[in-house]
Amino acid sequence: MAVTAWHYDGRSAIRRRVELRPEGDGFVLVEGDAAHGPFAWSDLTGRGMQDGAAVYAHRTLDGWRLGLDGEIPPDIAARLPREERYGRLIDRIGLWKASAAFAVIAVLALTGVYFAPAAIAPLIPPSFERRMGDAMVGDFGGRFCAAPEGQAALAKLVRRIDPEGGDLDVRVANIGMVNAVALPGGKIIIFDQLLREAESPDEVAGVLGHEIGHVRNRDVMQALLRQLGLSVVLGGVQGDAGGYLNAVIGLTYTRAAEARADGYAIESLRMADVSPVATAAFFRRLARFEPGDGRAATMLGYVSSHPLSRARERTFRAAAEKGANYTPALTTEEWIALRRICRDDPKAARDDSFGPF
Amino acid sequence: MDDDSQADSAFAFTGDWREFAPIAFTNLLLTIVTLGIYRFWATARERRYLWSRTRFIDDRLEWTGTGLELFIGFLLVFALLFLPLLLLNFVLQGLVFRDRPGIAAAIVVIVYVLIFYLVGVARFRALRYRLSRTYWHGIRGGADDPGFAYGWSYLWKTFVGYLAIGLMVPWSMTSLWNERWRHMSYGPHRFVSEAQWGNIFLRYLIFYLSPIVLFVLFLVFVFIGGLAFGMSGGFDPSTPPNEGVVFAFIVAAAIFYLVFFVVMGVIAMIYYSAFYREAVGALSLSDLDFAFTARTMDWIKLFVGNVALVIFTLGIGIIFLRYRNWKFFIDHLEATGEINLDQLTQSATREPGQGEGLLDAFDIGAI
Repeated sequence: MAVTAWHYDGRSAIRRRVELRPEGDGFVLVEGDAAHGPFAWSDLTGRGMQDGAAVYAHRTLDGWRLGLDGEIPPDIAARLPREERYGRLIDRIGLWKASAAFAVIAVLALTGVYFAPAAIAPLIPPSFERRMGDAMVGDFGGRFCAAPEGQAALAKLVRRIDPEGGDLDVRVANIGMVNAVALPGGKIIIFDQLLREAESPDEVAGVLGHEIGHVRNRDVMQALLRQLGLSVVLGGVQGDAGGYLNAVIGLTYTRAAEARADGYAIESLRMADVSPVATAAFFRRLARFEPGDGRAATMLGYVSSHPLSRARERTFRAAAEKGANYTPALTTEEWIALRRICRDDPKAARDDSFGPF
Repeated sequence: MDDDSQADSAFAFTGDWREFAPIAFTNLLLTIVTLGIYRFWATARERRYLWSRTRFIDDRLEWTGTGLELFIGFLLVFALLFLPLLLLNFVLQGLVFRDRPGIAAAIVVIVYVLIFYLVGVARFRALRYRLSRTYWHGIRGGADDPGFAYGWSYLWKTFVGYLAIGLMVPWSMTSLWNERWRHMSYGPHRFVSEAQWGNIFLRYLIFYLSPIVLFVLFLVFVFIGGLAFGMSGGFDPSTPPNEGVVFAFIVAAAIFYLVFFVVMGVIAMIYYSAFYREAVGALSLSDLDFAFTARTMDWIKLFVGNVALVIFTLGIGIIFLRYRNWKFFIDHLEATGEINLDQLTQSATREPGQGEGLLDAFDIGAI
């Protein structure tokens, strides 16, 4: 009924030859005339096989080891714990079942992070979103332009594209970059360089419609939520892999959102009787900075966050209706005033450090 | 193979990659389906195998670290370091928008200094953690010092090391190595570490001066190339260069780039092999003296082997790199002297509760 074994008591490095003898609810280790223990069976943890010995550790005694190298009778074997292999949970379920279950959970988590923001974003109170936008932007370092005539023209343009609005906060920033951005809380910032390079107010109207589309679709909040969710879910993925996965998932969503915002812009222009042809021309000029049509261009379209300028040009041009009663988005005087909104405002700080791109 | 030369060494690695493969592949599978979370348990399984196949004198090493404690370490770092940094990022954006780049820059500098300090603490704590989970004859190692003071040493010694146009880097490396190991113990014994920077300084000079020599050679090469090109028709700025010329330039640049990195890589290994021989050779524990026998050629073979393994398996080979690195480390580790088993009693150091989360977060390798 005894098993021969080697033993470390965890207090010194001396290797002892012992015999394991069951006693009561546990066992003792007999070394010559002396006996160590008793120890409880339930305190043992399996540490695997080593040189033909089944090795066990003690739950509370640091360094205590027992290597059973003799033949183990079945009644003792039944009381010995098994070695942990993949981890306690997976050992219990089995490797393949556990892998399948984890895969399902992973897909669900990614799907949730991908689709949930669209459902959650509308639930966030606009007042909270506005405070967030204020916190992010502040006074934009004094770069906002506010020449009175220009401001009036901008207000008119916004009313024309978005007649039922009122919760929008559209500003022009004195920044040398052809761009416009939508931020949380209905904030839209048009960069001055875009006004300078636009050839008509209709072009600005198209861009504005696009950014208003982002605001109405709550795209900004969705993007923030999605980014947050992805960085938590993919937090465990090491190094570059997580970054790439994050970027790819983020981009597929962004492209859909951009196309939706373009659709919104086209619809707004139609309702306001502003021609979309000018916006198409704007994209044609942007397209000159991108590689030509063909495979490379299509590839680039898939990887860049905005649809390719050429594709957008075609969309806007196709939206023009024959015989429609289009009128310019602003009068000539208003358009001139809007373009001078920064030059006529001596207080606005100029910043060229961002571009031009 | 070189098993014969290992027979009389105190350390020997007895693992087999075919035995390791099932561990590596199931780890890969579980890591993928858990979106990376399993990698902590994967690391623990890997080390349990590698340690159990490492013999020191008459018995194997044993790794007792668990995936859970590594995971907890990761969560702590995520909550205490990454989340605050994420929030700070928003604050920085707000400051830039408000035209306060000065304050933003100051915050960035402070954060970088803090992170540098934490990298030092992380290196110390990772070594302490690994020693505290490594058992031999039922005895483990460890350190009582939590490593916060070492973080400062790491910060200022690295800074001073680069101060004299980088010439004091060997001093900072050996001095930090000594400081780290002198805090560590195994059983009742403290490690003694006496690495001397003077012994590796000549090798460092080669490492230090070679980029300059390479750059001068490159300039000469460009100059001669330019002369040859000028004689063959020259360069007309008004017409775009034809495809042949562009191609030639790209090929020349690529060759130079490759040569530069291969040469620099080899020279770096000349230095690092000397550093590790000096550093490990300066370590002793009670009556044991350690040595590390890897020469520059051994390091190059390891490195080229690793690269080839990864390339020819289209990346899958990555899961075997830690196996190869550990085998390399043990194959070249030697110890002489004797151990008194009576006096090798259990370590009285506190066992750290969680794993090397901080080091993991900064993505720093072993040793």
